[in-house]
Amino acid sequence: MRRFRVPLLALTVGLVLADSAVVTLALPAILQRLHGTVPQIAWVLISFNLVLALCAVPAARLCDRFDPRICCAAGIALFAAASAACALAGSMELLIAARSVQALGGAFALVGSLELLVSVEGETRGVGWWIAAGVVGTAAGPVVGGLLTEAISWQAIFVVQVPVAILAVPAALSIRPVRTPTPQRHPPALAPNLALALLSAALTAALFLLVLLLVEGWRHSPAAAALTVSVIPLAAAAARPLVRRLGATPRMEAVAGSLLIAGGLVALALPPSAHLAWTIAPQALIGLGLGMTVDRLTAAALRDRLPRAVHGGWTIAARHFGVVAGLLVLTPVFTASLEAAQGPAQEAVTALVLDAPLQAGDKVAIAHALSDRLADQHDQVPDLRPAFRSLDIAPEDRPAADDLERALDDQVRRAATRAFRDSFLIAGALALLALIPLSVRRRSR
Amino acid sequence: MSLAVRARSLALPLLALVLVAIVLVVQVANGGGRYAPSAVADPCTAPAPTRTPATLDALGQQLVLLGLDGAACRLGVSREALTLQLAQDHEDPSDAQVDALKAGMLDAIDRVKAAGALPPAADLVDQALDSADLNALVKLAIRALPDTVINRALPTDEVLRQAVENLDVRALLGDLDDSSQLGNLVTKAVTKAVEQTLVAQVRGLV
Repeated sequence: MRRFRVPLLALTVGLVLADSAVVTLALPAILQRLHGTVPQIAWVLISFNLVLALCAVPAARLCDRFDPRICCAAGIALFAAASAACALAGSMELLIAARSVQALGGAFALVGSLELLVSVEGETRGVGWWIAAGVVGTAAGPVVGGLLTEAISWQAIFVVQVPVAILAVPAALSIRPVRTPTPQRHPPALAPNLALALLSAALTAALFLLVLLLVEGWRHSPAAAALTVSVIPLAAAAARPLVRRLGATPRMEAVAGSLLIAGGLVALALPPSAHLAWTIAPQALIGLGLGMTVDRLTAAALRDRLPRAVHGGWTIAARHFGVVAGLLVLTPVFTASLEAAQGPAQEAVTALVLDAPLQAGDKVAIAHALSDRLADQHDQVPDLRPAFRSLDIAPEDRPAADDLERALDDQVRRAATRAFRDSFLIAGALALLALIPLSVRRRSR
Repeated sequence: MSLAVRARSLALPLLALVLVAIVLVVQVANGGGRYAPSAVADPCTAPAPTRTPATLDALGQQLVLLGLDGAACRLGVSREALTLQLAQDHEDPSDAQVDALKAGMLDAIDRVKAAGALPPAADLVDQALDSADLNALVKLAIRALPDTVINRALPTDEVLRQAVENLDVRALLGDLDDSSQLGNLVTKAVTKAVEQTLVAQVRGLV
């Protein structure tokens, strides 16, 4: 057990932070299985991030006052139980409640793990493990969730967390925490935490909206989307070895990372087509930026500040308030843009149907099938393909109908891309705003 | 901080900016930013047809589509917006919409004629007779006439103009739900126009 306790705790930290975005690719399946509404499905994401943001600092204060082993082990156990409850949830209300409890347990697990990792590995390595696990978990969440949903089911996302967490409980209890008297109580580091919050809000677009664009807008399978967004964690992992050669200061790394994230998000707003390849380079920029900012800023927020767990709690709170703010800002923008795109999309679709080389009767039948489909999928990016399956078209007209179907699909993808554009641009602006706190020089205390 | 250290510390942000610029330039050069729903055409400058329709159904469809352009131009909306209004409104079409569509279809006949894309009347008569409610002997007699005689006696544009006058546009718009009824109304209007023009020609001879 001694050999595995550090990896197990790091894995738990990664799991808790991956849970922030792990269900993104599973949302359509959850919506269908639990008969939820679109606002409810948004709360599956928001509830976890909001509770984690609200509870991280109070949990850290409790860990600081009492035994961090108990806090951490109890948090992991609660997280495991709530994960199992998420998998068994039979309604949206139960799932949202279980996600909230999962975040509560996760808050204790995260801040307790920081203290325990430092107790085992020492200050530098312990904090390094904690930060690295968080970066990998955050970046890999959508990929892992998407692959599990496609390969097994959305419930599998939660089921696989249970055994890992159960193993981590004795690992946490086996560590004797090194308690150092902390006469000093430093205030939270404002600039790095603010930059973390702004960058987390911006990354919401890459970790949530990009996945939605790929699956709902461009109609790629969840597996294809999951593999595509794996570029972000891979680039994030590559960032550190690449940057080390340049010998830049941590602040300049964070500045460069913010610029990369902003640039990648702007590039996602301007794809030349709906081909997955056009998202690779923008995602690589975002992943590199994520790998250069989140760990540097978290380290800056923790450096020389006591109590360590409380400042770890502040970084978690900043990041997840940022995610919630990102969701609350970007979702209405996206919804409004989607609504605004409906008019031009409908006109473009109408033009294609009117000009199609088909008989008038077939055009009317297609128009009716499309109209029914659009009415069924109000407030969503419509999937028009089923409208063509029910049509009775003469064999000689089938090629023209197939061409029309492809052209209509292209128009829908164009409209979806346009609908996501403003959200990506706003997210890019949020990443640039992070440069403001980064430009504040740290004064000596 | 020395100049060398300062330059070294700025290298990474500069490299980041260069990477971002490369990606954005490649995206924009390949059409990034222009990937949006196709813009609708101006109905007042819609191109004239270049191909002569082979069937009565195709001709009727061409006239209705060109008529939609003309009507949309008159009403100051796009052809697609007018189509969606007509298809989605649960109320009857307005008088302005009906009048605009009729006028648009009459304009369309002139435009198709000017483009030299009107089919000869003999082609229409044969198809119209298939569904015409005429005595079998009369149908036989008309079919026996040489095409040149029919084409001289029945100028296509006049037949079509008469067909548009006969067409119950309000009923046509009201029956958009029924795809078979749409074709029937157009065919009926053309058949009746053929009959009327033929009768007028015969009366002229008498």
